[in-house]
Amino acid sequence: MFKPIFFGYLSLLLTSTAFAQSGNAPDQAQLIQNLMSRIDQLERRVAELEGARAQATAAALAPAAADAMQMGVQADVTDSRPSLHIAGFTDINFAATDQPGVHSGFSEGQFILHLNSNLSPKVSFMGEVSFSARSDAGIGTPAATGFNAEVERSIIRFAQNDYFKVSFGRYHTPINYWNTAFHHGQWLQTSASRPEMTQFGGRFIPVHFVGSLVEGAVGAGGLNFNYNFGIGNGRSSVISRGGDAGDSNNSRAWLVNMFVRPDSLYGLQVGGSAYRDRISTGGREYNEWITSSHFVWSRETPEVIAEFANVRHESLTGSEPVSNSQAYYIQTAYRLPIAQKRLKPYYRFEYIHVPESDSVFQPIQNLAGSTAGLRYDISSFAAIKFEYRNQRRGPGIPRINGGFLQTSFTF
Amino acid sequence: MKRAATIFILGILLQTICFADTAAAADIAVVVHRDVPIDNLSFPELRKILLGDRQFWSSNLRVTLLIRAPVAHERDVVLKNILQMTEAQFRQYWIGKVFRAESSVAPKTIYTNEMAASLIANLPGSMSFIESGQVPKDMKILRIDGLLPGDKGYPLN
Repeated sequence: MFKPIFFGYLSLLLTSTAFAQSGNAPDQAQLIQNLMSRIDQLERRVAELEGARAQATAAALAPAAADAMQMGVQADVTDSRPSLHIAGFTDINFAATDQPGVHSGFSEGQFILHLNSNLSPKVSFMGEVSFSARSDAGIGTPAATGFNAEVERSIIRFAQNDYFKVSFGRYHTPINYWNTAFHHGQWLQTSASRPEMTQFGGRFIPVHFVGSLVEGAVGAGGLNFNYNFGIGNGRSSVISRGGDAGDSNNSRAWLVNMFVRPDSLYGLQVGGSAYRDRISTGGREYNEWITSSHFVWSRETPEVIAEFANVRHESLTGSEPVSNSQAYYIQTAYRLPIAQKRLKPYYRFEYIHVPESDSVFQPIQNLAGSTAGLRYDISSFAAIKFEYRNQRRGPGIPRINGGFLQTSFTF
Repeated sequence: MKRAATIFILGILLQTICFADTAAAADIAVVVHRDVPIDNLSFPELRKILLGDRQFWSSNLRVTLLIRAPVAHERDVVLKNILQMTEAQFRQYWIGKVFRAESSVAPKTIYTNEMAASLIANLPGSMSFIESGQVPKDMKILRIDGLLPGDKGYPLN
């Protein structure tokens, strides 16, 4: 009786082996692959253990480390004071153009310090300070300093949960994707330059906003709906600046920004914004109404960023006609699969049209321009960008060509 | 007769266990502190946590993300299978996230699975990724789309 069972089991084994050899050859290959990768993992683990004895000590002290980490995450307090984390960004540039009166040469980009501190499990502060080289350094009485210091952002935020966060401070106005995705971190953006519609010190979009924001995100059935509602000072009497020291009138600016990031299209962000303000400048008053939209595909194969904004100005003190100025850009890039994925060519087309009737924007020049370049990531924290720009400011005005080289990094 | 039947059954069981163990060993478990008030995450929810788009388990409990240092298999699986990012992209993403003030802290780096297990046991709201064969018995493992490590179709391997 034993023999039939033994032979039965043997035949079952043989059958399963034969199956594995014939019908499931890929499975066997997969098994070998798994074993090989397992060996690789074990080798790496040995290397880790040998190279990280200090970390092993930390593991042994895990409860204490957990306490410290909890403090780090939830209430960053050291010696009864909140601890401060500092990071930075900066860039060095070389430019050469055929624009009359402009010299070629090197220039220092903004030196940015980013400050971050958790004041309690739900309250955090972040600040951003910039130092910008001045072209008028040493001129005037008293002589202008070499660098201009500016508080770019200063935000204290209370986060109740993912759905509701409220904050106060000085922001980059969240009605423009580029403005809030890259801020002053040149290294974060693919290209060397920002689109002109969102240029720092520019007028088209109010880059800064002083006031309060309510923001959050809800799942919305996989759409991941995000919102910002804000009220603040809006533009100052110098319309390229925010109302840091106070509003220029008694009418607050408000904004709404909404966008979705669908689960089913990982990497996609689509949204739109509205911004309303009353501008008081040069003894005249205008209603300003900005509507904008953006489309972003953030995966780098390819990367697409497109934005459009319309700015409507309506005079409240004169007989000037209502004016609408438009600006848009589309930028595409592609992370090449060669050279350890360090190369990323890109191209951007941008356009700005300001009608002559728009007296608020009259200093802004029209633009139709192309920017093409190549980004090379030297390391995880530094990049070199080669960029060519070709811009036309209007009919009959000669095109301007420029070559630019930038190295940007975070530290 | 009984002895032969027992050997036969044990043989089959051993064969099954050997093959099943090979499959499960490569799976990466999503391990959380026992106070985390959920047992299952959808794959997109898991991705949102890793992207810092979801930062709270509940209003009173923040997510504390613990991720193995580069080179570890667990980190490779997280980056490739869930985020579809390279190491450089992941670093740049989180530097940008903190710089945009969308998150006040980046994921904490841990160096061994033992360290991960110890921290998770002590840190409320914490979450990490540990190869399923190395997860201590008393740890809470989250299901991903209803699946546990070793289940057919489990996405983290």
